[in-house]
Formats: sequence, C-alpha cells, structure tokens
Amino acid sequence: MRRVPLLAAAFVLLAAPLAAHDFWIEPTTFRPAVGSVLGVRLVVGQRFRGDVLPRNPAMIAKFVLVSDAGEVPVAGRAADDPAGSVRIEQPGLALIAYRSLDSSVSLEAAKFEDYLKDEGLEAVIAERARRGDSQKPSRELFSRSAKSLVAAGGVGTTGFDRVLGMTLELVPEKNPYAMKGGDALPVRLLYEGKPLAGALVVALSYDDPDKKISERSDKNGRVSLRLPQEGVWLVKAVHMVPVAGDPNADWRSVWASLTFEVPVAGPPSKPE
Amino acid sequence: MRRLLVAAVFLFASVVAASAHELGTIRVTARFQKGGRYEIDAVIDRQHLPPGFGASGTIDPRLGPIGNLTPGLASEIGGLVAASLNGVRIAFDGKPVSPPVALVLPEGGASSVARAPELTLRFSGEVPAGSGAFTWSNAVRLGTYMLTIRTEGEEQAARQWVEGPAESVPFVLKSEIVPMTRGRVARTYLVLGFTHILPKGTDHILFVLGIFLLSIRLKPILMQVTAFTIAHTITLALTIYGFVALSPRIVEPLIALSIVYVAVENIVTPRLTPWRVALVFGFGLLHGMGFAGVLSQLGLPRSEFLPALLCFNAGVELGQLTVIAVAFLLIGLPFRNRPWYRQRIVIPGSLAIAAIGLYWFVQRVAGG
Repeated sequence: MRRVPLLAAAFVLLAAPLAAHDFWIEPTTFRPAVGSVLGVRLVVGQRFRGDVLPRNPAMIAKFVLVSDAGEVPVAGRAADDPAGSVRIEQPGLALIAYRSLDSSVSLEAAKFEDYLKDEGLEAVIAERARRGDSQKPSRELFSRSAKSLVAAGGVGTTGFDRVLGMTLELVPEKNPYAMKGGDALPVRLLYEGKPLAGALVVALSYDDPDKKISERSDKNGRVSLRLPQEGVWLVKAVHMVPVAGDPNADWRSVWASLTFEVPVAGPPSKPE
Repeated sequence: MRRLLVAAVFLFASVVAASAHELGTIRVTARFQKGGRYEIDAVIDRQHLPPGFGASGTIDPRLGPIGNLTPGLASEIGGLVAASLNGVRIAFDGKPVSPPVALVLPEGGASSVARAPELTLRFSGEVPAGSGAFTWSNAVRLGTYMLTIRTEGEEQAARQWVEGPAESVPFVLKSEIVPMTRGRVARTYLVLGFTHILPKGTDHILFVLGIFLLSIRLKPILMQVTAFTIAHTITLALTIYGFVALSPRIVEPLIALSIVYVAVENIVTPRLTPWRVALVFGFGLLHGMGFAGVLSQLGLPRSEFLPALLCFNAGVELGQLTVIAVAFLLIGLPFRNRPWYRQRIVIPGSLAIAAIGLYWFVQRVAGG
C-alpha cells in the first residue's frame, strides 16, 4: 500500500445531504472541573452539527471514561439526554469512549455509492463494481467507535495516546491541549488494534465545519492534520470490510471519531 | 487496498437495529400545549428508508385528506406518506383518536418537497377532556425509534425508545394540558365566578350593597340588579372575545368611582330615578370589564370556552344575589319597617361605602 498523496481541497461540498451520518461525543465541557459531573452527549449528524442521541442501552457495547485512575462507566438511564454522565475525580487528561453494537441499514445504490465516495471508500466502490453490485442496494452493518479527549481541571500531559481497543480507533500522538492553532496533529488509525493504511481521515473545526482537512493514512496508519485554528475539533474516519456468510449484509462499516479542544488561550506550554 | 477487502471478518454477535440515523427512520415528537392542543410530528428520514419503501401504496382513508398534499405531490410522495402513516395509532387512555394530519412544507415550499431529505407530517388535535395518558404506535417495521414528548411549561422533554411496531409506554399527561370535561368546567367556573364576588370581590360587594341600600322595596332592587347583570354580561363577553379592551388602569378607578356614586345618591334620594338605572347599567359595563380581566388571568379552556364563560358569569351573578340575600336577612328583614331605617342604616352605611370607594379611587389612581 503506497501512500496516497494528500488530497488538497479534493472534496467539494455537496449541496444535497448525504445518507451517511457522522457520530461523535460532545461532552458538556472539554475542560471539566475536578469534582464536577460531566455530561456526555452522543451526537449524530453531518459537518459537526447534528441531533442529540438519547441513551439507548440496547445499542451500547461500551461507554466509559478512562484516565490514570482506571476505567469507570459513563452512567445513565434509557432515553437520557445527555446520554451519560460521569464524575470527574482527578485532574489530568481522560478519554471518553463509546462503542455501539451493529445496526443494519439498506440504501439505494446511488445513495450508497455517493456516501462511499464522500467517505473516501473508493476501494469499496471498486469491489462492488468488480462483483457487479454497483446498481444493487446496499446491505450494510455499521457500528460506532467514538472517543473524546477531555482535560480535567484544564491540565494533563499524559494519556492522550492511550489505546482503548476500539474496533476502529483514532489515536492522537500529540496532546491537543498543548497545541496552538496552526500546529499539526499526528493521528494514528488502528483497525482491530493494527495500523490501517489508505483510509481517509478528516478533521472538522466546530467553528468552521464546512472546511474539511483531510489526509490518507500512510502504511503505519498515520496522518498529520494541520489544524489552522483553536477550538473544538472532530477527527473522523470510516472503514468498511466485506461480510461473508451473513444473509442480510454484504458490508460492515465502523465509524471512528475523536473530539477534543485546542484551548484558545492555551495552557502553560509543556513540550511533549 | 485489496488486502484489506479480503481481510478476515470477525462476526460479532450483533444486535441489529434498522436505521442508519440512530434516532430512527421515522422519529416522532409530540408537543402538548396548555389548554389541550397537541401536535405530533412524524419526521421521515428519507435518506435512510429501505429501498423500495413507500414506492407505492394508498393512503388509508381513515387518515382523512392530508393537508398540503396536492394531487401533484401525492403522485410523488403519496406512497411514502401511506407507508409511513397508515399504521399510526394515537390514543388517549387506550381510546384511539383520528386527528387531521398535514404535510409540513419545507423551507423551499411545495416545490422542494421532492428533494427534501426529511419530510414532516403533523397531526394536530385537542386532547380529549379528562384524558390521563397518551400512547403512540406505528405498525410499520422500521426498527427502534425515538419518541420525544414535550409539554408546554416543562423544560425537560420526556423521551423513550419505541421498539418497532410496539406501543409506546403510556405518557401521563400533566393536568394543565388536559381539558376538563364539560361538567367539571361548569362547576369550576361557577365556583370561580362566585368566589370572585364572595369573598374576594370587596369592591363588587360594596357596589351591590350600595344598590341594595337605595330602597328596600323589591322593584328598585330588581331593576338595578337586572340592569347591572345585563351590562356586565355584555362587557365580560365582549372583552373576553377581544372586541373591546380598556386598560385596568382606567377600569379599576372607575369601578371605585361607581361605588362612590351609588352610595352618595343613596344619601341624596331614596327613590329610584330613571337615570339611576341607566347609570347602574353603565357601571355594570365597567364591572364586566373588571370580571373579564380576572377571567382572562384564570384562563378559559379552549374546548369549552362558551360554557366556561357562561358559568363564570352565572357564578358572579349568584355571588351578587347572595350578597343581597344576606344583606336583606341581616339588615332589611329586622329593620326595614323601623322609622329610623334610613337615618341609622342607609345614610351611615352609604357614607361608609362612599368613603371606602373614594379611598379606593385615590389608591387606584395613585397606584395605577
């Protein structure tokens, strides 16, 4: 797998909404006070704007907060909004992780092909063409692997690159809370624990969500995303694999996302 | 890339829901307003409908004509509307209702419906009087979806996941949004009208006592009370329906002044003059506006507007008649034939009423 060149402004914004929806975690604040209860929203939408997803216990495979102190559940009742809440016990970086069970969806061929194109899944388009499936509706299973990095007490220097064993996982290799606008964020993409090459990784700023910053992952699963400004960011990637032996599905997709904040004022700088 | 595509796939035990938009392919929001109106929006996420869904089909006549669905639009999305709504069942306390339903036109109007990623169909109705709980179900099999229920005045929405064709968990309606039954309305507003006079309406009590003190004979009392009643009924209705409006800052001081007037005239003359009846009628118009102010603060149930208005007015009337009856029993019956009735009762009583009325007038002008 050769490195695909960076696609400069390759993705023209489409006027029509797409069938595919991103999924991400929006904590009530990215820098919660120690001792506070942090609300954790799950959001489904497009271009970093979406609908709040109330807690659906039937869909949760994992919903936790991981810090130096270990792993605690993000708790809540069915249909709660925010979908969960967790007490922040100690200062430092902490990761919120949400993994869903599979859902199934079937889309008309044209819609499905559009979404594959938009998510950079040209290989799936090619494979469907090879199988003669291009005109057929999709039969897809999909799941969500969302992470959010928060800085409890506004501090912390370690733990941002913790690997949580998500199906598809975006691992920042630099602490975003120690970054400034214009800095590059190296991110590693892992699928089932192994580097995933050739996947389109996209970053969106909450303040300028129509501007996609994207790069294909290299053979080590790495991208380096230059984030032009401070604020809240979403990094996302989708991976899709063929399904064998399931009468109801041909493809399985996993949607990874990572949200974090590059603080506007910037904390006391601590080089990595 | 090929290597990835043929990579071994781990088949995890999977719980399969049927929607890419995790909120549901058809998500539902019900809004209940004070006074009993409700709107239920079924939002159809067209991007995630299964292929072929709603391609054809006829709309269940039980739904009635769909608002905004012109024949042109019906040829485009009629099947979708049918597939989405034919299985809907809205019920209060288990009893199904059939409110009218309309297509909510997207921002671009009817011409943009064909391309709209979401379609909203809105049921609008009135909560049946005395209802306890609301339930929703839709027989269409599209997986789990979110039902959001908002009640006016409540910050938090109630939410529940509805499993496919199953019925929602009954939502217990807040009493403020459930219209009362007609019998309840009648009783409630009769009592409200009565208590607005007795014991709350000291100014109205004094006015009625002023009317009573003019003459102990039946005819003058009857004529004044009738004139007063007809007048306040007229302005109460006209004000409530919005045909007339006069600021309480004008009405309330004038009501005080009307008390002063009847009391002073009681001192000047013991006879019922024609202008007295006319004036009492005029004052009745003012008091009616005062009643309307109170009634509009209390609120009237939309579904039982007229019965509530009539009962409130009747309650006011009963209150006034009670004041006169009590005054007659306590003052009229024992003392009316005494030679000093006028000197010791009517004149001092009227003086006191006039003084209080004058005090209120000054207070209301200054306070207003």
